[in-house]
Amino acid sequence: MKKALLWGAFAAATAMTPAWGQDVKIVLNEEADVLEPCMATRSNVGRITMQNINETLTFLDIKGGSGLQPKLAESWEQQADGSWRFKLRQGVTFSDGTTFDAKDVKASFDRAMNPAITCEVPRYFGGMTISAEVVDDHTIDFKADPVQPILPLLLTLLTIVPEETPVEFIREPVGTGPFKLTEWTPGQQIVLTARDDYWGEKPAVTTATYLFRQDPAVRAAMVATGEADIAPSISAQDATNAATDFSYLDSETVYARVDHSIAPLNDVRVRKALNMAIDRQAFLGTLVPDGTLLATAVYPPPTLGWNPDVKVWDYNPEEAKKLLEEARADGVAVDTPITILGRTANFPNNVEILEAVQQMLQEAGFTVEVKFYEVAEFETYYSKPYAEGRGPQLVVAMHDNSKGDPSFSMYFKYASDGRQSGIADPKVDDLIARASAATGDERAALWKELQAYLHDEVVADVLLFHMVSFSRVNERLDWTPTMATNSMLPLADIKFK
Amino acid sequence: MSHIDTIPDEPKPLVRFARMLWADKFALAAVLFLLTVLVLAVAGPHWLDGAAQKQNLRGRNAPPFEWERGWLWVLGADALGRPLLARIIVATQNTMMIAAGAVVCSAAIGTVLGLIAGYAGKRTGEVILRLADVIMSFPSLLLAVVVLYILGPSVGNLIVVLSITRIPVYLRTTRAEVLEVRERMFVQAAKVMGASGPRIIFRHILPVVLPTLTTIATLDFAFVMLAESSLSFLGIGIQPPDITWGLMIAQGKQYLTTAWWLSFWPGLAIILTTLSLNLLSNWMRIALDPVQRWRLEMRQTRKGETA
Amino acid sequence: MIPFIRKRAFASLVSLILLIVAVFFLSRLTGDPAALYLPSEASEEMRQQFREVHGLNDPIMVQFGRYVWDLLHLDMGESIRKARPAFDVVAEAFWWTLQLALITMTLVTGAAIVIGSLAAFRAGGFFDRVASVTSLIGASAPDFWVAIVAIVVFAVGLGWLPTSGTGSVWHWILPIAVLFIRPFGLIVQVVRGSMITALSSAYVKTARAKGVKARPIIFVHALRNAMLPVITVIGDQAAALLNGAVVIETIFGFPGVGKLMIDSILQRDFNVVLAAIMITAVAIFLMNLLIDLAYSALDPRIRH
Repeated sequence: MKKALLWGAFAAATAMTPAWGQDVKIVLNEEADVLEPCMATRSNVGRITMQNINETLTFLDIKGGSGLQPKLAESWEQQADGSWRFKLRQGVTFSDGTTFDAKDVKASFDRAMNPAITCEVPRYFGGMTISAEVVDDHTIDFKADPVQPILPLLLTLLTIVPEETPVEFIREPVGTGPFKLTEWTPGQQIVLTARDDYWGEKPAVTTATYLFRQDPAVRAAMVATGEADIAPSISAQDATNAATDFSYLDSETVYARVDHSIAPLNDVRVRKALNMAIDRQAFLGTLVPDGTLLATAVYPPPTLGWNPDVKVWDYNPEEAKKLLEEARADGVAVDTPITILGRTANFPNNVEILEAVQQMLQEAGFTVEVKFYEVAEFETYYSKPYAEGRGPQLVVAMHDNSKGDPSFSMYFKYASDGRQSGIADPKVDDLIARASAATGDERAALWKELQAYLHDEVVADVLLFHMVSFSRVNERLDWTPTMATNSMLPLADIKFK
Repeated sequence: MSHIDTIPDEPKPLVRFARMLWADKFALAAVLFLLTVLVLAVAGPHWLDGAAQKQNLRGRNAPPFEWERGWLWVLGADALGRPLLARIIVATQNTMMIAAGAVVCSAAIGTVLGLIAGYAGKRTGEVILRLADVIMSFPSLLLAVVVLYILGPSVGNLIVVLSITRIPVYLRTTRAEVLEVRERMFVQAAKVMGASGPRIIFRHILPVVLPTLTTIATLDFAFVMLAESSLSFLGIGIQPPDITWGLMIAQGKQYLTTAWWLSFWPGLAIILTTLSLNLLSNWMRIALDPVQRWRLEMRQTRKGETA
Repeated sequence: MIPFIRKRAFASLVSLILLIVAVFFLSRLTGDPAALYLPSEASEEMRQQFREVHGLNDPIMVQFGRYVWDLLHLDMGESIRKARPAFDVVAEAFWWTLQLALITMTLVTGAAIVIGSLAAFRAGGFFDRVASVTSLIGASAPDFWVAIVAIVVFAVGLGWLPTSGTGSVWHWILPIAVLFIRPFGLIVQVVRGSMITALSSAYVKTARAKGVKARPIIFVHALRNAMLPVITVIGDQAAALLNGAVVIETIFGFPGVGKLMIDSILQRDFNVVLAAIMITAVAIFLMNLLIDLAYSALDPRIRH
């Protein structure tokens, strides 16, 4: 009887006590539907598994800013024929005990690209034929046609699994990372425990429990009461405690995509007027948090090839009105109602921001209406094929690029064949092709040239904000969020004070 | 032998109702509130539409009860600096249209089907009941998405979706009452006397069923307003800048801990409307029932009139 | 009674089939899961592959035939999103919803009948006013409001209860308290209304006139006859809870069927939507059957 009482008391107590010692509880905004390694590029999966359970050959050090770093590959170099040779780390074992070698890398790559399994990985290797060839146990070649200068960067997206892994989604991921999956109660929690036989430095964290709460106020409350240690994403309104709350640029960019084939948006004066009619400064600190950057490209400043010389459009409603009059005098149908399309719950204050933009545009003389759609329907407006008979539209979307290179965005958003592209400009296509094939400084220069051309001459879209997110962290931890936190949270970064 | 005075004539119905209303102060307050809502629903947008649309980013989320700004800002401002009082008044029209439309449609259709199900033959009854079962199991969001895709977003379709999902409760409640009432003596008597089916249904059964249905309908008003809130939030039906109380509540959700007034005032509007409707329906239940009327009429006589 | 149940079972099966057919075809009209599952930047080729792998390229009648065939083998298909059998996903979620629904409706029924009857006893009196106004406020208040305020007050402010989650008994208190409020408000009013009518009916007056002083006896008789609309509305509210209490599940982190249904509908995860509807429908059909049987138990004049 006494034992039962003691256990009861213990159970009641542990239900409400905060985490002890080297355990951390992390509360995320959505559950990971799958933990399949080849889906780790999807943020709700990668947050849990990337660099924790599964590792990659190379690793982009966003936190330290040192660029591309070795992980499972110790070194790499481009051969004379354009292929890349990777020298792999030795003495690495998977969590199931098997040794890591080049055959595992090839198997992981082939598996991820296999059409029978529908992973996310193939989309990063689109537009090229690529194959992996085992040279010896610790050397592997990647051949790509056309030659890929950023292949090592692309390999930050390929997680490595043992070659015996079946070609179907697995629920018990096995990897070389410092943690292994010990519990998965769907809908409730996922638990990762540290491995003893990890090849690298042992992390300070021994157990990590991931919880899921969709409501941001609840997430913030959980860290406040000690029920969780880290809430990587809370709302700006709740981030009031300077000791625990941190803001960070989260690599998402909000912009309005313009379709240049529909009047009156096919006239560059009208597009310039759109940009000048919006008082972007007025949003800072009001509808978007302080620290939000005004965008001049769809990728944020730390990205290679971001052009600091491209200036944000000045707020000039008078000039905007003048341009509209000019266009009207030339017979352009500037009074056609323009529709702003938004996606529900896309980002905080979505509705208010678009309503404010609508008001600003109307004050400059445009006729504007706003419509919101849920995800599925919104997709049909955002990606090709576009609907017939649509009017002029400003499709407001949020694009994520934390990979460090514009090539992950530019083709899709600006090439003539790009799925979300609203333009068909041969100079743009040419610049994209040349920049994607270039290396080093030449590459950066070409991307900069493209950014300036798109922003100032073509006036391709209405770029708005580089978004900022907030995290809440228990004071006993030494951890701050980085730009990659949205898609990856390496537990090794967490230290205790 | 006592002298009996002539019994005074019963006063006219209007006067009678006014007196009964006066006897129940809560119901009186409810009626006045509902009349105000009605007036605002009709005249609101015309009167305050301009004021409700004016954005002022610097004045966003202004707190309530700051009298210096003017009476329009007494309830505070929303996330775009627009005065909440004006927004609520303008939103009354859409809210009432949708809520009243959905409740009246679902109640009418549900009741008629329920009456048929209860009174007509076994077969018809079973089929209608199974229809009710199917509707109860069909998730309202899926219905909303399907209607949205096939018919496009509009206020009318929102009303269609909201009313379909609420039909079963009226249907089943009516049927249950019909099952009970049709076995009663007075109904049997009417039958024997040759009254036709519809006559029995409408003259004898419906009056018995109506009070419960009214109670359910008045609370359904609130449920419909709140359900509309989540559907509009998802982009099905009311689109910004059009507003309803429900949409204002949904948009104010993220500010619950910092700018509570964004969700609070429209929520209060819904609560007060529901409360008023319910108090009114409780009052009507008593006032319209000859057997119960004495409860209200007697209260007046305590003032000293001879009974 | 047995022939009645048999007939009802058959009719319910027919409704279930119609429901499945309706949902199957209607949901497939609403969009393409490939576009949602894969990121915007995926190529058309990838989307085609995705559709191929999940059998979405076949003509719709073929897909339907395949679905029915699998169903007859008790296979409800796989969740596109979660890469697991749809039945498993739904069964886990439904268990949580069922628990929440049963506990809440039991508490609601008990409390509402007691309070509604007491309010009816002295209709218009102080207790009636207070009970009516408070229950109505609770019933018409937005539930996320109540939930978040409850969390802020009881979990963050006072620290008495955990904010969310499902761990211990304490975790259930807030979600059930918040879920309780709306059905309670409605059913109190329905009980009150029916009891007022019942208490002023002829037979009660006769009983009183004959000298039956004992209130309990009058109560029980009146209650019995007032219950018909009451249990119907209880059934309706229970059905709503069985369909899942989305807001409660979302805020308190209870992985129930409501949130699952919404997510699956928005993500066009058809198999999960169908499986969830089927399981919920069976529960609702059963419940309605029990309620119809209860009608006869309460009022012997009602024969099926």
